[in-house]
Amino acid sequence: MGVTNQALPSGYQLLNYRIDRQISRGGFSIVYRAFDDSGAPVAIKEYLPSSLVLRTEGDIVRASTAENLTSFRYGMKCFFEEGRALAKINHPNVVRVLNFFRANETVYMVMRYERGRTLQQQIQMRQDQVSERLVRHVFMHLLNGLREVHTHKLLHLDIKPANVYLRTDGTPVLLDFGAARQTLTNTRPKLAPMYTPGFAAPEQYREPDRLGPWTDVYGIGASMFACLAAFAPQAADARLSEDHLVSAKKIWAGAYSDNLLEVIDWCLRLDPLERPQSVFALQKAIRDIPPRKRKLTFLDTLKKKLFSEVM
Amino acid sequence: MRFTIFQESRKGQRKVNQDRLAYTYSRDTLLLVMADGMGGHAGGEIAAQIAVRLFIERFQQEAKPTLKNPLKFLQDSMLRGHQALGSYANQFSMLETPRTTCVACVIQSNYAYWAHVGDSRLYLFRQGGLIGQTKDHSKVQYLVDQGIISAHEVVDHPDRNKIFSCLGGLVDPVVDLSRRTPLRTGDLIVLCTDGLWSVYPQEEIARALTGTSILKSSPTLMREAELRGGPEGDNLSVIIVRWGPETIVDEPTTTITETLGLGEFQTEIDRTLTLTDRKGAQRDLTDDEIERAIAEIQATIKRYRR
Repeated sequence: MGVTNQALPSGYQLLNYRIDRQISRGGFSIVYRAFDDSGAPVAIKEYLPSSLVLRTEGDIVRASTAENLTSFRYGMKCFFEEGRALAKINHPNVVRVLNFFRANETVYMVMRYERGRTLQQQIQMRQDQVSERLVRHVFMHLLNGLREVHTHKLLHLDIKPANVYLRTDGTPVLLDFGAARQTLTNTRPKLAPMYTPGFAAPEQYREPDRLGPWTDVYGIGASMFACLAAFAPQAADARLSEDHLVSAKKIWAGAYSDNLLEVIDWCLRLDPLERPQSVFALQKAIRDIPPRKRKLTFLDTLKKKLFSEVM
Repeated sequence: MRFTIFQESRKGQRKVNQDRLAYTYSRDTLLLVMADGMGGHAGGEIAAQIAVRLFIERFQQEAKPTLKNPLKFLQDSMLRGHQALGSYANQFSMLETPRTTCVACVIQSNYAYWAHVGDSRLYLFRQGGLIGQTKDHSKVQYLVDQGIISAHEVVDHPDRNKIFSCLGGLVDPVVDLSRRTPLRTGDLIVLCTDGLWSVYPQEEIARALTGTSILKSSPTLMREAELRGGPEGDNLSVIIVRWGPETIVDEPTTTITETLGLGEFQTEIDRTLTLTDRKGAQRDLTDDEIERAIAEIQATIKRYRR
């Protein structure tokens, strides 16, 4: 078994936070639940890339070689970008950063602790089909958060069900801005691009110069698709060579409103220019719900009857 | 319109970059704007941002696709910017109004028009010679005008940062307007903040840019200027425009605006990021940079806390 980075132990005092337990572990970090001075729970993300084993015991992060230290410090930039991105955003549907500090020779980001589960877990748990109401509810709120993100000239670039947290009251929170990029000045990402197959837009693989709000829009479309399908759509790079993706409208005709299915297909267009160009445009499209469950008036019934007779 | 444009801002050795710059153009009119938020005053960065945004927004409302009166547009935008900063301070009950310098230039029908407040500058070069420039609203410029100090003493003078006109100040800004200045193909228009002109005399800027492709020479100039700034280096920014089609080298670098539809605008706003290396080279962080990044993030968290 390979050696992995040691998580901080339960009860560990990290500045004025007391570590409770590890919540999750990713490629670049470990997330803990902890309690602050007043006993309120917080989530603390510790920068600790798993590719570099830097802590086999104790608490201090130590690079074994100069080369390791360089990689470690270099990767820290991503972590700062995430902190920088989130610090500016104070929105109910975007994870809130509460503090950011340096300790144990690494850096930590303290975030508001949210109760609930990820959209990913939600999708996997459901036995029956996810209702249109739920999809609309989650994504309308999520898009409000994403709009705020874009307003701050940031792109998320890793939107997927696993990065959407559903609070116990059902409202979503957009998490994990590890891939976030400032957009207006630095169009070319400086760090190794991170993308999740199925959710990443084609331009993330091939044309980093063309990233824009529409790139996150693709992620939204793919996430909506995944909500319905319970699996991710075909990866965009594969779609570029041979597109096997069947349109949502074809798969779920009748099960969901045409409007919702059309919006999903629109978001998943390979050409960035053919997708909704902004979150606002997307929200507008989703909001224009055709009157579905309107009670039929006598006239409607009559029309329908006549129509079916004519046909 | 055909032109080649370059803009860049560097943080120098400062914790934050309080310079903001942008350009935007319609099919027939180009606007360049630059603001240097005043450090030591609350929210210099915010002030510069507000000023630049306001210019861009007003331009996009009024350039359809040309401005009726470019000089009036510049004058009005400066005053509106000044008022906007006052209301911003009011709205957030700030003790002090955020302040900024501002220099802006409109190019339309082969004529340039510019306006400035404070000590951010515009130079107009033709064939390597200076044919137009702004005159700083600063104490040292006053001393130069009175013959008390020489122009070369300006950059080292202890009062070199004192300016008497700015947006957001206690009194209304003094706005200097240029004349309607005809442009010729190859003319260079350079907007810069004091971080650049204090380390790069105008003769040297002219020499560095004349007879070169500005997209190649400008980054070198900025790198050199940042080096000259040394360990105390200030934020430094430039917008450089070469008017007319690029004649020096045959490269697809010229911006051609005829392809823009009526009512369309193309805008580039530059906001230099901390820690992102423009060269994209793998470079790790120093302890100092880590501390600075953390301080910056913490300050941002506080600022955006409800």
